Amino acid sequence: MSSAAATRYDVAVIGAGMAGMAAALFAAERGLSCIQVGSGGGILFASGLLDLLAVHPVAEHRLWQSPYDALAALAGEQPGHPLARVDPTSIRTAFQSFVAALTSAGLAYAPLGDRNSNLLTSIGTVKTSFGVPLTMVAGVDALAQRPPCLLVDFRGLREFSARQIAATLADDWPDLRHQRIDFPGFEAVPEVYAVHLARALETRETRERTIALIKPLLGDARAVGLPALLGLTRSREVHAAFEAGLGVPVFEIPTMPTSVTGLRLLGALESVVSSRGVTRRQLSSVRALTFDYDTALLQLDGLPGGERISARAVVLATGRFSGHGLMADRQSVRESILGLPVQQPGARDAWHQDDFLDPAGHAINRAGLRTDEVWRPLDATGKPAWKSLFAIGSILADQDWMRAKCGSGLAIATAWAAIEQVAQPLRETQKP
Amino acid sequence: MSNTLFRAALDTSLLLCALGLLWRMSTWYRLRIGPDVRDLTLVPRLRALLRGFAAALFTRRAFHVGVALFLDVLLQRRLYRSDKSRWLTHLLIFVGFMGLLLMHALAAVVALKMFTGYESTRNPYLFLRNLFGSMVVVGLAFFLIGLRRRRRHTLHAPMRRPMDAAFVVLLGFVLATGFLLEADKIVSPQVFYRMAKEFNGSADPAELKPLRAFWASEFGVAFDDLTAPITPDLLRQGRAMHEADCETCHAGAASAFVSYPVSRVLAPLARVLDAGQAPTWLLYLHVFACFIGLATLPFTRFYHVLAAPISLLVNGAALGRSLSGAGRAVRRALALDACVGCGICDAHCSVAPLARHLDNRYLLPSHKLIATGELTRGRLLQPGHLTTGAGDAAWRAAEGAFGCTDCGRCTSVCPVGLDLDDLWQSGRADLARAGLTAPAQWVQARPALAWAESLQRDFWPRSFFDPDARDAPLSANRSSFSRCVQCQACTNVCPVVAYSTDPAYGVDLTPQKVMNLLRLGMRDLAMGSRMVWSCATCYQCQEHCPQGIRVADIMAELRTLAVQRLGAVRSHKELS
Amino acid sequence: MKYALFLGCKIPSRLPAYAASTRAVLQHLGVTLVELDFNCCGYPARSVSRDGFVLAAARNLGLAERVGLNVLTPCACCFGTLRHAIALLDEDAALRVRITTALAAEGLAWSGTVEVEHILPVLARVVGVDALAGAVRAPRTGLRVAAQYGCHTLRPSNVARSDNPLAPTIFEDLIRLTGATPIEWPLRLDCCGDPLHGANALLSEQMTRAKIADALASGAEVMCTACPHCHLRFDGVQPPQTETADASIRTLLYTQLLGLALGLPAKSLGL
Repeated sequence: MSSAAATRYDVAVIGAGMAGMAAALFAAERGLSCIQVGSGGGILFASGLLDLLAVHPVAEHRLWQSPYDALAALAGEQPGHPLARVDPTSIRTAFQSFVAALTSAGLAYAPLGDRNSNLLTSIGTVKTSFGVPLTMVAGVDALAQRPPCLLVDFRGLREFSARQIAATLADDWPDLRHQRIDFPGFEAVPEVYAVHLARALETRETRERTIALIKPLLGDARAVGLPALLGLTRSREVHAAFEAGLGVPVFEIPTMPTSVTGLRLLGALESVVSSRGVTRRQLSSVRALTFDYDTALLQLDGLPGGERISARAVVLATGRFSGHGLMADRQSVRESILGLPVQQPGARDAWHQDDFLDPAGHAINRAGLRTDEVWRPLDATGKPAWKSLFAIGSILADQDWMRAKCGSGLAIATAWAAIEQVAQPLRETQKP
Repeated sequence: MSNTLFRAALDTSLLLCALGLLWRMSTWYRLRIGPDVRDLTLVPRLRALLRGFAAALFTRRAFHVGVALFLDVLLQRRLYRSDKSRWLTHLLIFVGFMGLLLMHALAAVVALKMFTGYESTRNPYLFLRNLFGSMVVVGLAFFLIGLRRRRRHTLHAPMRRPMDAAFVVLLGFVLATGFLLEADKIVSPQVFYRMAKEFNGSADPAELKPLRAFWASEFGVAFDDLTAPITPDLLRQGRAMHEADCETCHAGAASAFVSYPVSRVLAPLARVLDAGQAPTWLLYLHVFACFIGLATLPFTRFYHVLAAPISLLVNGAALGRSLSGAGRAVRRALALDACVGCGICDAHCSVAPLARHLDNRYLLPSHKLIATGELTRGRLLQPGHLTTGAGDAAWRAAEGAFGCTDCGRCTSVCPVGLDLDDLWQSGRADLARAGLTAPAQWVQARPALAWAESLQRDFWPRSFFDPDARDAPLSANRSSFSRCVQCQACTNVCPVVAYSTDPAYGVDLTPQKVMNLLRLGMRDLAMGSRMVWSCATCYQCQEHCPQGIRVADIMAELRTLAVQRLGAVRSHKELS
Repeated sequence: MKYALFLGCKIPSRLPAYAASTRAVLQHLGVTLVELDFNCCGYPARSVSRDGFVLAAARNLGLAERVGLNVLTPCACCFGTLRHAIALLDEDAALRVRITTALAAEGLAWSGTVEVEHILPVLARVVGVDALAGAVRAPRTGLRVAAQYGCHTLRPSNVARSDNPLAPTIFEDLIRLTGATPIEWPLRLDCCGDPLHGANALLSEQMTRAKIADALASGAEVMCTACPHCHLRFDGVQPPQTETADASIRTLLYTQLLGLALGLPAKSLGL
């Protein structure tokens, strides 16, 4: 729309994954005018859990119950890791701010402390994470105490098997039982989808029928675990109804992506970002990005005739390969918008270890953009590509977020740090 | 002409006309359009007719009927609103013709009774006859000019039946012979002598010389033997004779402002014409042309003179849609007759651009009306239609019927006030009963697998160049869907899948499965699936796809491909 | 402010109140509306012929271009279709050539200069929420209203460009300024079901009834619509409910709600 073209935004955020959303949120909260380009579709894969840092070093797969202790260790051993370059106080504040925003949009989290939590995954493994949605909190306690507990799944929901979880944990948690029921209203179909079930549970009648089906199966169970589908926009209400109806704590277990939790998170983030005045361009992408002294010019496609946007600063939060922030051919990896130099293994055959499941991970996963001390990506000469261009999130080099279990932490912390820079008054000593 | 001959011809024409009318009007009671009136037989319809009459005459509906009569039938208000130039054309022909009919053709029963001292050669009747005649001629001229202009601009003119053209020719012929007859009578010495014998007593040229002189100079009779110079004295004498014997019945010939100039052209030929008995055979031609028009009235354009006012009056009495089932049945069948093929509906049709593009005239109202008639008379569908090529016209008609958006414009502009809305709805219901449905129905009537197998067996040469690249660029281009990682986001946000909890009407595939079929090169299977055809195009899938795949757009493209490809094989035996 | 008013096929014959209320409200607000001899937007042809639908849409745009006006439509479906055609003409050069050639035969052209607007964003942004709020004379205080966005006002967002498709507020803002209370309801962004009524009547009905039930369960007294398809669907004029109706809900067009709040006589709004 023409009004967007006429405005010179304080910051343009390219990317709408966790990092991009966090950056847009923080920018808006600081009163910066912000436009955000890109689809939040990647967030649909989220479990709703917010990792900060759980594994370090990756090769040893050492788990930390205190993420801040882990961060301290990381800072000592891998000072180049992006998370090590953001001070812990800022990380703490950033997380509080992020979670507060989500809570305001109806997606409440357990209070953030200093500790990680351990929860069940949908295949019966245990995940260590930091930010836990309220609907999942009872599962943390249950996993710790291992009381008699019932896991319920639904016929036709192929991505979730209570039996599998119970079987995986059989030795450690003998009182973990499992039952399968038909979801009310979906008895006649062979395959069901979590989001549809979640929406159906926002209808009181369906909720009551489901609770009535589970109640007789409780036995001596002191907690009930369900796949994460207790409502979509009203998960608190649905969860509370289940607890009230069953008389025991109820916890959600994150399912495979694409999941209800991802859709909840996306909805909450879009709501928060929009309500704070961020202009969104979900189905657009940046075709060209140029810089004209103190203004960045973005050429967007997706709209008829394209769209030109100008901004005082740009935050590159385009992610890695699945989000197309990085593109790989058979020889090398390149950054897709500006062709910024990507730190990567020297030779193609150095990308991977021979063993796919090598605990140390693969060099290619640590490829990415190098930045200076204020998060500006470097050009081929080693200088910042542009004085007000910042790079955040998983596109950064020297981190392996999947193995370190630090994805959200990386995104939120680096977003906070970059927006700090953007919010600073114009600096005279900026190198062009 | 002899009275006996005249009467015999008239009676025969009237009889033929009456029989023809009975036949035509019987269709109003025989034809069944629409499933809601399928079981209504003749008796309920006749009862509805009688009740309608009674209501029209004796209840407050009579007022509405009267209003309809005045505004819609006489003043043609509906036509005025729709197209003012055509209203003018029609008014000229209408007034001119009615004038000629009442004042001239039916002079014996109408004019003589109403106007004392009526004589066809007196004013104002002489003038009026010429006026009315010229109005019809001018009207016909406007009509033909308008026709040519419309033909140039629209790709699909209303269908013209040969009888329509024949009627215009006949009408023109009647007018031409009428004017020629009058012109010839003006110049004819033979007629003069006959009249002189009757009213003066003499047929002697010498005796009648003064009168002849007078008539030659004042009335244009072309005597070729009036040799002596015509002196004022002679004329005075002639005038005296004229005042004695002729004046009471004859106004000045110049009042015949069309016939008189024509007579000047005929004047040099007066002797030849007289020798050939022109006045006589012109009269015969004129009168018999009228009789032919009368006898064929039920089968030509002229029939609208009866059908259209009846339709307008029925609507006036109907007060909208408050008709009973029988009433609706009659009105629908009546509409088929009352349509004059004017094409004003076509000019206002919302989907006319599509009719041109798809080259399917059955999208246009005037053609849909004809197709409805063909369907209800059992002529649209041949035995075994679904398996033979003869079904093409039927399917084209169905495509037209189901392409209608029910915008109602045709109904509001129809000069004859036909309830086209109702006709289209009932027509579509009849088509559906005959197995001719909209694509969404005929595709979903067979499983996707059956369609795919049929396509495989049919011609489809897999060429190197994908012909779909032009009409369905997204589904023909791998890059549109190759990024799909089967994450099921589209399926999870799809409301159609969400509510497909009953296999009876639920969808067979999900959006992500359709995308997968495309990745597997199985576009044929996707085209015929219920998912593609029950897609609500709500765009949730496209909005949420993490890979930016245009799922809903691709679904729409698959539908357009299916209409073509599956349409080509739907007549396969295996699918019936 | 001057626009060519595009009513589409549904409004004049099936929902004349929408035309009446649109005209009444816009006239009151000083917006001039011009009537052109538009044809169908092309939506029904989307499943039949791509070129056909774009041609139908483009012809309308050509008519507007000839008189130099942007198009304003109260029908969300027409809005989405016309804008979609523009998007396709923009991205497919070969299509553009075919269509402009066909239009030229009628003396029309498409240069991409005509913008197509839906009435909600025009009211909210061109007229302005503040200006509207200031013009309210008879606030509908206490009326609990469910905003029925429909699909095409929001999605796909690069075509509709009216608000955040996953978290829109524009319709609630417009309702709030009339003094009424917009409610939150989980299914608010769902399709009303109307596009399916020919292809799959039972499924279509499920969708509609679920929405009505959800709105009522969330405390709505009125369903507020911005598209004749949605409106006719909820108003019960479209295919009758085959089972006992759960419930029905009073349905009001936004132009009617706004008109009442502006103090316009109910009759002029088709009520």
